[in-house]
Amino acid sequence: MESTRVITEMILEEAKKSAEGILQEAEKSAEDLLKKQKQRGAQKANEAAKILLKKAESEAELNKLNSVANSKIKTKWVVLSKKETWIDNVLKEAKNKLKIMTTTKEYLPILQKLITEAGVILGGKDLEVLLNPQDSALALKLDSIAKKITEKTGFETKLKLSKEKLEVIGGAVVRTANRKVIMDNTFKDIIRRREKELRSEIAKILF
Amino acid sequence: MLEAFKAIKEKHLEAKRIVEEATAQAEKLMNEAEKKALSVYEEAYKKTLSQAKQKATDLKIKATKEAEIELAKFLSNAEDQAKGVEAKAKKNFKKAVDSILNMILQ
Repeated sequence: MESTRVITEMILEEAKKSAEGILQEAEKSAEDLLKKQKQRGAQKANEAAKILLKKAESEAELNKLNSVANSKIKTKWVVLSKKETWIDNVLKEAKNKLKIMTTTKEYLPILQKLITEAGVILGGKDLEVLLNPQDSALALKLDSIAKKITEKTGFETKLKLSKEKLEVIGGAVVRTANRKVIMDNTFKDIIRRREKELRSEIAKILF
Repeated sequence: MLEAFKAIKEKHLEAKRIVEEATAQAEKLMNEAEKKALSVYEEAYKKTLSQAKQKATDLKIKATKEAEIELAKFLSNAEDQAKGVEAKAKKNFKKAVDSILNMILQ
């Protein structure tokens, strides 16, 4: 009877051990499966993440380079713009001084010189002089100017003051009698023609 | 003797039932794990990718901040240069005007 009890207990004990083993193995397998899946998920994502980060790094670097290049341009522009403003101020002041000068005695010989230069460039002969209303009232020695032009060009020159008036601060426009050729020697046009040279000279002196 | 065999047979059946129950429970565990596996995979994928996205965003923010710092340096430098330009221009203004007038009238 005792031996039967021992045998049956052994059977049950063995079954419990087997059951425990089965469960432990299942738990471990389940745990391994989830762990492996977690690793697989992270690994797969890492591949995508590497591409994503590489792209982000390139973009960030490119944006930074662009931004720095723009900054350099912007700062150069700040300085250049300041210089341009001062160059403009000088030209403006020069024009103001020219305007004031047209009301002084110094102006008449300058105007005569400008008319002479224009007349010589046109090659003399029959010429017409256009001035602003204020200069038209000046005591211009047109005959004397015509003589100078004749001397310089070798062609008999006659100058006539046109009734047409200019809207300029000073200087003169001289044209051939047939109006086909014009030489603009007004201050405005002299400045326009030589603007590049003038601005360059102003920049050299100012800065 | 018969009693003994009967008792052993009963315990055998009980033992078989215990092992069968454990096997069933183990199968259930594995089935649940397999069901959960996909979501674990997706969760890990999303988490890692999300971290990478955050890192990418941080990289871009860092680069933008660095560029802003550079810009501030450049601007500060430009302001200094502009002040220098202004000081020189004020000093040489009259000389420049006179020189230009000479050029125009010469």
